[in-house]
Amino acid sequence: METATYQRFPKVKIRELKDDYVKFELKQTDASMANALRRVMIAEVPTIAIDLVEIEVNSSVLNDEFIAHRLGLIPLTSERAMSMRFSRDCDACDGDGQCEFCSVEFHLRAKCIGDQTLDVTSKDLYSSDHTVVPVDFSDSGAGFENAEDQRGITIVKLRKGQELRLRAIARKGIGKDHAKWSPAATVTFMYEPEIHINEEMMETLSLEEKTSVVESSPTKVFALNPHTQQVEVVDPEAYTYDDEVLKKVEAMGKPGLIEIYAKEDSFIFTVESTGAIKASQLVINAIDVLKQKLDAVRLLEDTVEADDQFGELGAHMRGG
Amino acid sequence: MEQNYDQQYNNVDDEEEITQEDAWTVISAYFEEYGLVRQQIDSFDQFIDNTMQETVDEFGHIEIRPESQHYPALQPDFAETIYKISFSQVYVGKPLMTEADGETRTLFPKAARLRNLTYSAPLYVDISKRAIKKGHDGEEVAETQDFAKVFIGKVPIMLHSKYCILFQSSEKDLTELEECPYDQGGYFIVSGSEKVLIAQERLSTNHVYVFKKTQPNKYAYVAEARSTAESQNRPPRTMFVSMLSGTSAKGGCSGQYIRATLPYIRAEIPIAIVFRALGFVADKHILQWICYDLADTQMMELLRPSLEEAFVIQNQQVALEYIGKRGATVGFTKEKRINYARNILQKEMLPHVGVEENCEAKKAYYFGYIIHRLLLCALGRRAEDDRDHYGNKRIDLAGPLFGGLFRMLFRKLTKNLRGHAQKCVNKGKDFNLQFAIKANIITNGFKYSLSTGNWGQANAAGTRTGVSQVLNRLTYASTLSHLRRLNSPIRREGKLAKPRQLHNSQWGMVCPAETPEGQACGLMKNLALMVYITVGSSADLILQLLQDFGIDEISSADISQATKIFVNGRWVGIHHRPDMLVSTLRGLRRQVDVNIEVGVVRDIRLKELRIYTDYGRCSRPLFIVKNQRLLIKKKDIQTLQQRETPDDGGWHHLDLVIARLNPDESYSDTYTHCEIHPSLILGVCASIIPFPDHNQSPRNTYQSAMGKQAMGIYATNFQFRMDTLAYVLYYPQKPLVTTRAMEHLHFRQLPAGINAIVAIACYSGYNQEDSVIMNQSSIDRGFFRSVLFRSYRDEEKKSGTLVKEDFGCPDRANTLGMSHGSYDKLDNDGLALPGTRVGGDDVIIGKTKPIAQDEAGGQSSRNTRCDLSTSLRHSETGVVDQVMLTTNAYGLRFVKVRVRSVRIPQIGDKFSSRHGQKGTVGMTYTQEDMPWTVEGITPDIIVNPHAIPSRMTIGQLIECIMGKVSAHMGKEGDATPFTDVTVDHISRALHKCGYQMRGFETMYNGHTGRRLPAMIFLGPTYYQRLKHMVDDKIHSRGRGPAQILSRQPTEGRSRAGGLRFGEMERDCMIAHGAASFLKERLFDQSDAYRVHVCEHCGLIAIANLGKKTFECRGCKNKLDVVQVHIPYACKLLFQELMSMAIAPRMLTKDV
Repeated sequence: METATYQRFPKVKIRELKDDYVKFELKQTDASMANALRRVMIAEVPTIAIDLVEIEVNSSVLNDEFIAHRLGLIPLTSERAMSMRFSRDCDACDGDGQCEFCSVEFHLRAKCIGDQTLDVTSKDLYSSDHTVVPVDFSDSGAGFENAEDQRGITIVKLRKGQELRLRAIARKGIGKDHAKWSPAATVTFMYEPEIHINEEMMETLSLEEKTSVVESSPTKVFALNPHTQQVEVVDPEAYTYDDEVLKKVEAMGKPGLIEIYAKEDSFIFTVESTGAIKASQLVINAIDVLKQKLDAVRLLEDTVEADDQFGELGAHMRGG
Repeated sequence: MEQNYDQQYNNVDDEEEITQEDAWTVISAYFEEYGLVRQQIDSFDQFIDNTMQETVDEFGHIEIRPESQHYPALQPDFAETIYKISFSQVYVGKPLMTEADGETRTLFPKAARLRNLTYSAPLYVDISKRAIKKGHDGEEVAETQDFAKVFIGKVPIMLHSKYCILFQSSEKDLTELEECPYDQGGYFIVSGSEKVLIAQERLSTNHVYVFKKTQPNKYAYVAEARSTAESQNRPPRTMFVSMLSGTSAKGGCSGQYIRATLPYIRAEIPIAIVFRALGFVADKHILQWICYDLADTQMMELLRPSLEEAFVIQNQQVALEYIGKRGATVGFTKEKRINYARNILQKEMLPHVGVEENCEAKKAYYFGYIIHRLLLCALGRRAEDDRDHYGNKRIDLAGPLFGGLFRMLFRKLTKNLRGHAQKCVNKGKDFNLQFAIKANIITNGFKYSLSTGNWGQANAAGTRTGVSQVLNRLTYASTLSHLRRLNSPIRREGKLAKPRQLHNSQWGMVCPAETPEGQACGLMKNLALMVYITVGSSADLILQLLQDFGIDEISSADISQATKIFVNGRWVGIHHRPDMLVSTLRGLRRQVDVNIEVGVVRDIRLKELRIYTDYGRCSRPLFIVKNQRLLIKKKDIQTLQQRETPDDGGWHHLDLVIARLNPDESYSDTYTHCEIHPSLILGVCASIIPFPDHNQSPRNTYQSAMGKQAMGIYATNFQFRMDTLAYVLYYPQKPLVTTRAMEHLHFRQLPAGINAIVAIACYSGYNQEDSVIMNQSSIDRGFFRSVLFRSYRDEEKKSGTLVKEDFGCPDRANTLGMSHGSYDKLDNDGLALPGTRVGGDDVIIGKTKPIAQDEAGGQSSRNTRCDLSTSLRHSETGVVDQVMLTTNAYGLRFVKVRVRSVRIPQIGDKFSSRHGQKGTVGMTYTQEDMPWTVEGITPDIIVNPHAIPSRMTIGQLIECIMGKVSAHMGKEGDATPFTDVTVDHISRALHKCGYQMRGFETMYNGHTGRRLPAMIFLGPTYYQRLKHMVDDKIHSRGRGPAQILSRQPTEGRSRAGGLRFGEMERDCMIAHGAASFLKERLFDQSDAYRVHVCEHCGLIAIANLGKKTFECRGCKNKLDVVQVHIPYACKLLFQELMSMAIAPRMLTKDV
């Protein structure tokens, strides 16, 4: 069995970890892997979001559809989502989507009595399940110190006498179907840049020229060392592949002074979550989902059902 | 006074100059005081305040004498009774309405709109009736009866005008009345629909125009003077003075005679004869009247043939007779002819100079002046006049339009009154005045013209159409623009390009960008932002002033040295120190001693001073330049900023001038005025475009048209309105990149678009040919989501006294003609409940009408009612939003149902940037499929780069990078045209924000994760959603309804019609040889029919297929009948021909 194996063992190094933010390196793999991970994080990690709204009373300025749409977009804590069932294949309720295995019920009752306008917010939503509640940003620190800012996400404002009463059902879903189920606010990665400065050539530059090189980059990639008066790379990752420095160097008649390459097998990921699940959990869930997908492909590799279930993908797998 | 004035200026001189920023303070103050539709409102106020009273004074005197008729039984007490009716003071009440039960109450605009009423105010007049009874003995007894405040009709009231309830209401009051505080008024409400009067452009009267005729032509030069007397509102009388070409068309040489065309005179009259007819006989006088300077031999030489031509006529009588003979005087005596000619000269020739007796001298001078101008042009000393010069244009707004209509209606009313009274008086009876006045004449007259747009009487000749239009409420900007529209009522078909072209003199008056494309291009215009249109004032004050300053009478000896003074085109005198006169007049005007509207124009070359007080002139504010310095100083700006009394401070420094201006830099010492800001030359729609000065000009024109189709919030009270169609955007945003003018257009408060992140890239190829790729995830999150409101209305009509329609749920058991749609959505009252989901052909208003039982005699009597329900448009769905049930003006129940449907952007919907770059959605991609930047930004919209180079909309690119800077700094970007912002400034700012300076970003392919080979231009750009959406257009048909008459498929989407297989498609099929297919399309799938034809005569025979009997009665033939398949339309044609006694025979065998 001496056939060459192309199997690789990607490495992950976590740089920063917060509830709603992760920054990590993914190494020794290629763009297809990295991108698959990114795509799954955005579109296929399940969360829970309000999917059905029954409005009893709505005398607010916004119409029923408007409010329903706004409710849908409120992020709900979705730790349970992975273990929940999709209501379309829930046996308990025949796809009715009203049972405890696949849905969470919410109630909202608000009426403005006073002269001041009343803000109806996500805090006014009462959940039937304490694990699935609107995401609360008030304890996550920065920027929400004010009591007024802690009122959650505004749904609608009510004037004196106006009332809003509704029942909402939240279900599990994925971002592919509707963006409200996407747990990711931002998922992005970049190729790790490799920056080479030709020190010899750099010596030939005057101080003025050096500063102009440093300043030609819109982001702070280079800096002039105040002591040695040398151009140094301070933050290669700040480089956005904008080629500004390279163009500058070229314009100065010194091509090759700075050379920048993108490493093809090293990626720096930035993941921000909507708060539905923790950012770290998002990455882990994404890997799980990705594994499930691969398992499904592998299991059904040779069966005809693969065609039905995976459509083009299945056919492609078998053919290729 | 002059000195005071100068002193004041000298004090100010050493003060600080104003800056560009200060100019905007002035502009803000201007808009705060004037608003955006001031021209409409002022014009209407002028009508109510003055024109109406003047009209009543002019025509409100009727005298009725009995026309002697013999009634044998009647022996009157008096020999003759003369009645004199005179109308005096006019009063206008507050807008009100009378309910069907007789209750009268004030009418609010909101109620008028919702209940389809007319927002109009009653008009009352004091009338006195005087009966003068002449006894048989010649003794006179006079009786006077006064009627105070007699109701004579209702006038529609312009919103926010002086007589409107909303006049000067505070924002809070407006909100409480459920009006939009941003609504500017300036329109009317007639039968519930909002109507704008489109300003009509016309050529100014009382002005001499000299034109050179293109040869070969009978004439070389023609001078034209269209003249209307100030007080008269008669169509202008035109006088032509033409110089014949030296050589006539036949080749003979006839000399350059100058001849005049007078009204009602068929032939041209040699000018010398006209002079002689006016009483100026001597050749020398005539020459003086024309040339002014007898040393001017060139001009004198030109007059020689004309004088020689009239040599035979050497006195006034002969001249008059010469003219009289050429009028409509067949069979008149010589004396009558002379009188006729005299009358024509007095009343019809140049009426603006005077129609009284003894104005011959003035008329002769004016006539001489016309010829003088003609000769100047003929001698090449002056260029010909320009018909398209904007100074020669007058604009009729609501006031003059209403004035003309009111004059007509009031005269009709008096005529009617006279007719009624005459009848009574003839019978020797007195008449009841209140009864004789038909108030409906005025009420309905106004209503008719406003609701149809036909200005003038119904089915009368010479009416203008399209004067009144339904106010466009698609977007706030479109409403504003509609209120400032201008129309030139000239032949649309004419391919003459000149009147359509942008003229130099339109600078600052008319928007250079905003005009429609196609037929009305350049004829339909829009006012620039700061334009004000004069309402007109009396010339008497000016004449009095001129009298005080001592202008001289016209005397032939002096004219050549002095300056001619014209007031409203009338030559009133001459003056020797025009410079002083001009500065005094301007000084007085600037101190508001003279109406600020008065226009003073000095033509130094022509030695003329023209003063105008008439209505309809375009004017605009400018800064005054004195000694190469602006007159307005920092101090004035500060007072303006701390404005406690808004009309105090620099106002009188703002001069309103007709078409005169000068640029900012005073490199010449002759400047008199300075532009406030050059961006104000644009109109409402063009002011929304950022950096229009960086775009190719047609793009600005396209955007000006598209901005009117953008969705946004058209009025803050849209929830309380029941417009037939309304679009409202879910999450409108104010643009990141704005113009200064937007502030005054309230574009920030009522925006129509979203700041979308736009990438200009080729990505997957789904954005080719002006389509765009849109981010589906953004759409899910509410990007460009909008709601469409459609209102349906119905009322319980009454026919006769007994039969009344009823709202209610129709019962299938007893109702005739019910539609196939669902009636389940109706409540017991026959109306759909709010919140009901409706779709397809669902019935939303149930209404039935009883059928008279005797009528339906033949039918089964189970049907007692007939269905008249309203169902939803079959291609639409939605939710019932609001139901309003009320009564209309006749007390009949009246309902409006508003249906709402949410429109989510989808493939095929139309979007556009603010630079005439429209496109439809070609594909939607979810976030993960979109390209992304290192920051994780995915664009909302991807447009194709090919849309840029050929269209040269650089403004869009600059908007994009400025948007990026603005988004980063959290500030609005200023994209006002003609400022000193450059791309370099913005780029540097962007670089500082940490971005590539030209707005490019490295992006990664969303499908593969690889870096895109090119950098992508990415940034926020303000996009608009246009009202054209696929869901409103999608259409297909398998089978469906057919027309009743021709049995061919119906036409159009709304009737589920077929798609026409036209001539060219037919040609293709013929060429292809697909005959069977062709037959199927054109016959089987359309109006296939079969008839039975008699083989003998070829005409249609009687066939009873059930009994299998066939007969041609004409031929007594029961055997030889054949069946023929023909289109139903063909059968129809044959029958129509038969009805015309033509026998189309279908011969089935060889003849």
